[in-house]
Amino acid sequence: MASWPQNPRLINTRIPRLDGMAKASGRAKYPSDIQPEGMLYGVMLYSPHANATITSIDTKAAEKMPGVKAVVVITEAGKKVQYQGDDIAAVAAETEEQARDAARAIKVEYQILPHVVTEAQSMAAGAPEIVKGGNTRKARAITRGKPDEAMKTADVTIEATYALPVITHVCLETHGLTAKWEGQDKLVAWASTQSVRTVAGELAQSFEIPTANVTVLTEVMGGGFGSKFGADIWGKTAAQLSQKAGGRPVRMFLDRVHEHLAAGNRPSATGHVQLGATKDGKLVAMIAETHGTGGLQGGSQFPLPYIYDVPNSTRTHADVFVNGGRLRAMRAPGHPQGCAIMEAAMDDLADKLGIDPLEFRLKNLPSGQTPDLKPVYEAEVKMGAELIGWKENRKPRGQNGKGPIKRGLGMALHTWAGRGVDGNQVSCTINPDGSVELKSATQDIGTGARTVLAIIAAEVLGLQPTDIYSNIGNSTFPPGQGSGGSTTTPSMSPPTYQAAIKARDALFAKLAPGLKVAPDDLSLADGKLLVKGEVKMSWKDACRKLGMMPISVIGEFDQSLASSGVGGCQFADVSVDTETGVVKLNKIVAIQDTGQVIDKLTWESQVYGGIIGGLNYGLFEERVMDPTTGVMLNPDMELYKLAGASDIPEIIVRCYEPDDQKRRGVIGVGEPPTVSTAAAIANAVTNAIGVRVAEWPMSPRNVLNALASKSQNQREA
Amino acid sequence: MTEHDPKSQGGPSGPSRRDFLRGSGLAAATAVFTAQATTAIEEAQAAEAGPAVLSGEVKLTLQVNGEARTCTVEPRSTLLDTLRNRLDITGPKRVCDRASCGACTTIIDGAPVYSCTTLAVSCQGKTIETVEGFDTGESGIPHAFHQNDGLMCGYCTPGFVTACKAYLDKNKGKEPTLEEIKQGLDGNICRCGTYIGVFQAALAAAKAMKGA
Repeated sequence: MASWPQNPRLINTRIPRLDGMAKASGRAKYPSDIQPEGMLYGVMLYSPHANATITSIDTKAAEKMPGVKAVVVITEAGKKVQYQGDDIAAVAAETEEQARDAARAIKVEYQILPHVVTEAQSMAAGAPEIVKGGNTRKARAITRGKPDEAMKTADVTIEATYALPVITHVCLETHGLTAKWEGQDKLVAWASTQSVRTVAGELAQSFEIPTANVTVLTEVMGGGFGSKFGADIWGKTAAQLSQKAGGRPVRMFLDRVHEHLAAGNRPSATGHVQLGATKDGKLVAMIAETHGTGGLQGGSQFPLPYIYDVPNSTRTHADVFVNGGRLRAMRAPGHPQGCAIMEAAMDDLADKLGIDPLEFRLKNLPSGQTPDLKPVYEAEVKMGAELIGWKENRKPRGQNGKGPIKRGLGMALHTWAGRGVDGNQVSCTINPDGSVELKSATQDIGTGARTVLAIIAAEVLGLQPTDIYSNIGNSTFPPGQGSGGSTTTPSMSPPTYQAAIKARDALFAKLAPGLKVAPDDLSLADGKLLVKGEVKMSWKDACRKLGMMPISVIGEFDQSLASSGVGGCQFADVSVDTETGVVKLNKIVAIQDTGQVIDKLTWESQVYGGIIGGLNYGLFEERVMDPTTGVMLNPDMELYKLAGASDIPEIIVRCYEPDDQKRRGVIGVGEPPTVSTAAAIANAVTNAIGVRVAEWPMSPRNVLNALASKSQNQREA
Repeated sequence: MTEHDPKSQGGPSGPSRRDFLRGSGLAAATAVFTAQATTAIEEAQAAEAGPAVLSGEVKLTLQVNGEARTCTVEPRSTLLDTLRNRLDITGPKRVCDRASCGACTTIIDGAPVYSCTTLAVSCQGKTIETVEGFDTGESGIPHAFHQNDGLMCGYCTPGFVTACKAYLDKNKGKEPTLEEIKQGLDGNICRCGTYIGVFQAALAAAKAMKGA
């Protein structure tokens, strides 16, 4: 069984990313920046209607427009477009302006059909049926124990409905790629993707050419969050336009509106929940009916019950179909929804029980699971509670002073897998000039993958990370992991480590005879070769002895160097203006375990980033659909709210990493810290104002609605 | 405008939305719709009786990062698209394309401007600075972003670095507080959530500039 170094020199220190300067100085070339010689600009034409049949489509005028080199129809006459943003046709022209004009000049006639764009609209009596068999698809109940009977035995129960909206990924670099044919059967694509290999495979399949003839390049990319795994219709269309234009490269990246409409979203979630406990605070039963929408297909499922040990539970989920863009995986798919609903119910029940919600949570942690996260949660909650000042600052719900500004605290727990995946490889080449190159067909989604690989190789070879050429983002390299599910670092670290060790040992085997020592007598440190602990020569001089032939080896994945399953907890401190409904974040505390950390600097960035993503979900984000016209009302970055600099509170991040955690091996961290932020914020808001805000985001509208319902209830009572 | 922007309320004299719009010079640009452009439009219209084609061409020289760069644009071409598509200056990024996110920020005559809503033809004779022209040495802003990990995917980063440069240049010799830095960078949006690193970078850069 392999293990990570006990006393590493570089691993788990703070190392700036290798491509940080290229990015910060504007020199890094993103796929949307690449401009191969002779490149044309592609523009998509998409449906302005939520539901319509195309009765005719005429591209003749467009084809004759200045600069136009190719036009492709995607949805022919007679076919349907089923949401605003559904693809119809595409154009490639000499300039982007010309391509836009030409796309506009395509004449499309529609027979407009009735639509449903919100869940309420879709589920209403007499709603038009947009999917054969009905607008709702209910899954079978998942039941544990005897929830109905058990619920009757509970001393205290709550019953409430919680709801989270659809949000979109808002990748800053929109989806797309630049495609270039080389001859009839070779394709190069500069793609903004989380998986160069998936894009290569899909393009090869579409054009019926060998995958070996497709090269997908992603040196850097501008955000994906789970939505950028495939070539997509847009990438395939770019390649098709290129083909039609005689092989001239075509750049096709979506505009911002289209990106919101069609490039993925996190499905909504609504849960009608009954939760019961004994009077000393042990959960007894949960009965939950949930639904969500991710467009015209299923997949809105999310985990519930979440985290806590509920001995008796039943849960029924329904996918609700709407004329909207298709859901895609989004940073910790399902977990933020399940976490928000579960943690809101937990807080509401703790309040009714009159128990500190922190103690209530600790009482109901699951035990005896693999990995056993109970002690991890206990330790993390203790750390977090101290940092937020839970004991000193937290008041029971609604007892937060008489003035209009109320301050409150809230918390939530989360979990995620973040495993390493077998089959991934990294090659390591030591050249006679001393340069070291790693290669793998993985890519950096922004987590610092390139740097992680270099740190590990440098650790083994006694070099600095900047000495390592970490070459990723090329689909023709040895198989590398797609960047999803927090799997990149745990999947790529073990093969990198193994490759570096194999390369080092091969180097020692070559050098030892000449030095008249055993390979075991050799070691590497500080850019030097050591014999029996004494400096013998520089790394470069040692490599020069390789003569003409470099060392090149392949490292394989090794499960004993990676692991899966993390906990984590977050606390929020908020102030709520009960007159305006405005929520101000004062502080967020996050405690996160992820096994062996490779780069503490980029690890922290990911945790901060996860929290800020969750903060957006908690406070700002919401796809707003207009039931009447069927269109999205905020497909931009102004009315689709995202946090700016002034919205960022003090954020305290701590890594929970005692030695037994480090020994678990590497686990991914991209997703876990984004799961519980929105839940913790909602609980803090509720604690502050004394009434549950049951609809996310915690916008002034939703906060004021909650306050209004409270005063109405009081009047009625 | 400013009074409707909650982010700018009571803020210091950082780049306000009004300044951006003023810098965008949408009004001034109409004056540069030259005769040649009009002729080209008419020709195109005559050639194609179909939809109106606004694809006249204007030869343009822009002063970018100290170099005179000449290209052909349309009167409607934005500065951002001109930099990226015609001049291969791809530091400024196209993200929201309507003056909300700041990824396209460039510095024109010393003031930060959203280049996605600035017409290229309105920038003749002005000094245009993009992130590519900044000092990459140890006292430069890109270095501070690199060292403090003020970036993840990095797509918003050129905009943040540029906004930071404009803010610190305007407040030379001062050491801004965290709150002032936040106000100064409030015209930019990051989706990866890298703000904490950005703040640290901006504070470090301010210190380095003061020391320099």
